[in-house]
Amino acid sequence: MGNEAIARGALEAGVKVCAAYPGNPSSEIIGSLSSAADALDLHVEWSVNEKVAMEVVAAASFAGLRGLCSMKQNGLNVAADFLLNLNLSGTQAGLVVVVADDPGGISSTNEEDSRIFAKIGDLPLLEPATFQEAKDMTRWAFSLSEDLGLPVMIRSVTRVSHARGNVRLDALPRPATKARFDISRPRLAFPPFPNHKALHQKLERAKSIIERSPYNFYRGPEKPELLLMTSGSGWMYSLEAVMNLGVQDRVGLLKLSATWPLPDTLVLKHLKQAEAILFVEEVDPFLENNVKELFAQHCMDLGLKRFYGKASGTIPSAGEISPEIVSSALQSLLKVSDTKRPEQYAKRAREAAAELVPARALGFCAGCPHRATYWAIKKALTLDGREGFVLGDIGCYGLGMGPSGFFQMKTIHAMGSGAGLAAGFGQLERFGLSQPVLAVCGDSTFYHAAMPALVNARYNGSNFVLLLLDNSATAMTGFQPHPGTGRTATGKEAPVLDLKVICEALGAKVEVTDPFDLAAATDAMLKFLQDKEGVKVLILRRECALVRSKKQKKLYRVEVNQERCLGEMCGCNRLCTRVFKCPGLYWDRATGKAGIDEAICTGCGVCAEICPASAIRKEVA
Amino acid sequence: MTLAKDPFNVIIGGVGGQGNVLASQILGQMLVTRGYVITIGETYGASQRGGAVMSHLRLSEKDQFSPLIPEGRCDLLVSLEPVEALRILDPYGHPGVMTVINTRPIFPMDVISGNATYPEISKVITKIQALSKKTWTINATEIALDMGDPIFSNMAMLGALCATKTLPIDRQGFEETIRELLPAHKLSENLKAFDKGFESVKEL
Amino acid sequence: MNRGLKGLESKVLDQGQCAACGACLSLCPYLRSWKGRTVKLHDCDLSEGRCFSFCPRTEVDLDALHRSLFGKGYEDIETGPMRRVVMARALAQEFKKNAQNGGVVSALIDLALEDGVIQAAILTERDAELLPQGRIVKSREEVLSCSGSSYVTGYTLEALNRGPWQDEERIGVVGLPCQVLALARMKASALEKRTPIDRVDLVVGLFCTWALDYRPFTGFLKERFGDKPIQKLDITPPPERLLNVTVGNEFHQIPLDEIRAFIRPSCQVCLDMTSELSDISVGTVEGEEGWNTVIVRTARGEDLLRRAESKGVLETRGYPDDKWAHLKEASILKKQRGLNALNDVQEKYVTLPQRVIDAIMKEVAP
Repeated sequence: MGNEAIARGALEAGVKVCAAYPGNPSSEIIGSLSSAADALDLHVEWSVNEKVAMEVVAAASFAGLRGLCSMKQNGLNVAADFLLNLNLSGTQAGLVVVVADDPGGISSTNEEDSRIFAKIGDLPLLEPATFQEAKDMTRWAFSLSEDLGLPVMIRSVTRVSHARGNVRLDALPRPATKARFDISRPRLAFPPFPNHKALHQKLERAKSIIERSPYNFYRGPEKPELLLMTSGSGWMYSLEAVMNLGVQDRVGLLKLSATWPLPDTLVLKHLKQAEAILFVEEVDPFLENNVKELFAQHCMDLGLKRFYGKASGTIPSAGEISPEIVSSALQSLLKVSDTKRPEQYAKRAREAAAELVPARALGFCAGCPHRATYWAIKKALTLDGREGFVLGDIGCYGLGMGPSGFFQMKTIHAMGSGAGLAAGFGQLERFGLSQPVLAVCGDSTFYHAAMPALVNARYNGSNFVLLLLDNSATAMTGFQPHPGTGRTATGKEAPVLDLKVICEALGAKVEVTDPFDLAAATDAMLKFLQDKEGVKVLILRRECALVRSKKQKKLYRVEVNQERCLGEMCGCNRLCTRVFKCPGLYWDRATGKAGIDEAICTGCGVCAEICPASAIRKEVA
Repeated sequence: MTLAKDPFNVIIGGVGGQGNVLASQILGQMLVTRGYVITIGETYGASQRGGAVMSHLRLSEKDQFSPLIPEGRCDLLVSLEPVEALRILDPYGHPGVMTVINTRPIFPMDVISGNATYPEISKVITKIQALSKKTWTINATEIALDMGDPIFSNMAMLGALCATKTLPIDRQGFEETIRELLPAHKLSENLKAFDKGFESVKEL
Repeated sequence: MNRGLKGLESKVLDQGQCAACGACLSLCPYLRSWKGRTVKLHDCDLSEGRCFSFCPRTEVDLDALHRSLFGKGYEDIETGPMRRVVMARALAQEFKKNAQNGGVVSALIDLALEDGVIQAAILTERDAELLPQGRIVKSREEVLSCSGSSYVTGYTLEALNRGPWQDEERIGVVGLPCQVLALARMKASALEKRTPIDRVDLVVGLFCTWALDYRPFTGFLKERFGDKPIQKLDITPPPERLLNVTVGNEFHQIPLDEIRAFIRPSCQVCLDMTSELSDISVGTVEGEEGWNTVIVRTARGEDLLRRAESKGVLETRGYPDDKWAHLKEASILKKQRGLNALNDVQEKYVTLPQRVIDAIMKEVAP
């Protein structure tokens, strides 16, 4: 896998300290490094957030040890303040920051192109295009970083990070560096002005190194009809599109390994040879704009050009790119068409899908405690009747914004934003806000970012209820451990930082309840909703269904008594399948009764609690 | 066996949680050890929670290709769920595609809650057949449930796939691969699932 | 037209016309009461349902209802079907102590339980916050704990729907006119009944001119008197028009005009002052504090009153003509007010033959 290749590249470079916070599509980097940690004597950790992760790794660099931190695009936002000081203080041993973007936001709340941070920070930016490059360029990045005394940023995307392919491995070194921070050479970002100038000089040196990189290459005629410039995942799509359309003699492919700083000489050389240029890249027109700036600088020598890309609408400016998008762009620019399949077939396939295929909305797994929590929230808020609302956060429970969570979550932004917004809303009663304020956050999210918001709320006198959903996992990203789980990334025992103790220490009123006990959870929420003073934290503690099912099969054997089931009759109207919507249940139109889908039900027993006819029976498994 | 096409494009599709990722990983590994150049592209993450998922697997004797198969170029579709096959064939199918289908449906939330209907399976299979060069069906989930855990369905599908002879894979390769990838105590039941899939698959 | 929860919502709940009788609650998981509000927890898409069918503010055909219960249509326009009317009061001290006026309701229910006419009764209990709730009572103690009135209505019939009920239990219910109307609707409903209405053998109706909405009224009291507990509430008879409040051991009086704003909107369109669909109705007697008016309507009601008289549970007297005239007048006036108010509301829930409406409107005070 691309991420594993990156990890391997780091190992081949002799990395010693690695840190990250889980985030799709980057999580497997630290995930796989942690499995090698003991054998190769590395420190690998899941940090509470990306800023701390980067700081942990920077410390290693300052002490002469190579370090790697990884994150998704949002993580770079969190770490940005440190990164944009680290560039000025410089680094010692090689430090590589891997950012894996999620174009199209397939598993993110936002879509963002993190390459801009390289430009803002004057840092070298590498974009691997294949798995082999993911490994080799990561390894190289450490030497580049040491050479320059700067962190090097590697930008990957889902299609590189999560794709798998053959990779040729190289040897693993056994570096024997002793950690030592040379205190005669302090690492200070300050004073900014001379350091910024020095940074620019480093970047110039980086440019000349990158110009000579074997990862830049050109394939095509000397004077192509169309020059296609690309980096990252765009390379493989472009290569295949050109092949499939048979336009190898008309299109020149310029692949760039680094998109910041731009290898000016190389780019200018190829710009001279073509009049039409197409940019293929993920998310923002980063490469496109940088090349246009370069062009503007030298336009007197280059003549008129036509640029195609995101600005011209040839490549969509939002969403993920695909082989199809690149092929369509080439087809329209070169006036060729693709003979992949007859139009008749395409039409029939389209019609079949439209007629027969229902949409698949995302939802909580069967047995997920969040479904029970949102059920209780919905009931409590509806009974309370004051238009209370839930401010959301990042994690599986983020699906509370959709039908699976009964649309209870009304905002979603960044890690910890739920509690942060609540700290704000909780101040507005004096201006007439009469609605109860609630926030949800997960256990891992709490350690990452919600704590400062809670401190703020206590200190500034804000009034809200925080629902802390403790499912003992960082579930959405793959069940990584966190400070509440008692284990580290490498499986060692770790002290448990008890959520209840922390919240109480912060002065909140704290209670703990089990979301599967719907009555108790609803009552606890209602009680806190009536309390107008200060911060209340209700910890809803119940293990993630997927984590539990790996350890034991089912809590209960659940079945629906067909005689007692009221189905569509007045008194029920399919409460379990129509309203609660757990995928472990299904509605049998033929019999007019509900049933349990054995293949999906995880035996949590919550549906038995809500059935108005007591038709669902649960038996300890 | 030389490939019918180079690259040969395979999609393993299904619903998040069915194990398509593990299936593609095993299949990929089986083919790598046979000397093919493999690229696999996945959709991970949120799609795990009940959404539609695909693994794109490209085999070549010489080159590495992009992790996403261009539209209209899927040569072999292995679908762990019936309607997902149609969802995938819409953009990726072509008249020469071969399809291997698990006939057990997984109802989306809209269907469970009564806002949408799930079509009749026979109708779905007929449509799939009309869009394919050859079609095989198997109730892999039933095999898995008989064995006590729905997760065996993806191994049964690999067995079924082997029986169709559409890919250069065999039982020995499967056994070697799962020996590397899975813990020892899981080997025999996964082999059993594979064998049952091999026996049960039917060509339409 | 939707005759399920959707219809109930659009015609009653969203119009603010809920009478808080409780007939629609606990029939299913979608409707609950909470601190004096009727709350819809989830959407229901059934085209017809019991909530709509039982509600006293949806599609009430009074003429048909009377016919199904009494064998004749809506004819006795003054105070409903009547076999006889008397003045009555309980003789035992314990019934008179906390009671409003003559303590007749408590005494009758107590007797019905003791004699096994019923095995349980549903009365209305109020908590310290004045929140009314239906309660199943089976003993004298329990009966006494529910005596007294607070002029705030709420959800008595939810207790009927909830139960739990034992095998052969027969039930009596004490309710306000809207609640008694709901019971009549339950009995007449064509929808499959899984509610215990078939156990109800005795309906004791109360007189009512209007009732107060829990939330606004208690909000007003809290503003006026803080958190001090309300011990007793009653209204001085006309011409005084004062609300007497005993709170925190102090006695206060508030002009009625100040609390009229808290009368439930659904009371404005009510056409029933004396609970005309009951077996036996009980109310005040003008100018006679220690006595109740008792109107007997059915054979069951007659049976119970005779029992009470013969066992010395109640003392009864003939009803004075002048007081009877005033009672009829008050009842008719309420109907006229209600019919007028119906002209102004969007949803006219009740149907009556036009000649009956004309007859009511023509009545003039003597």
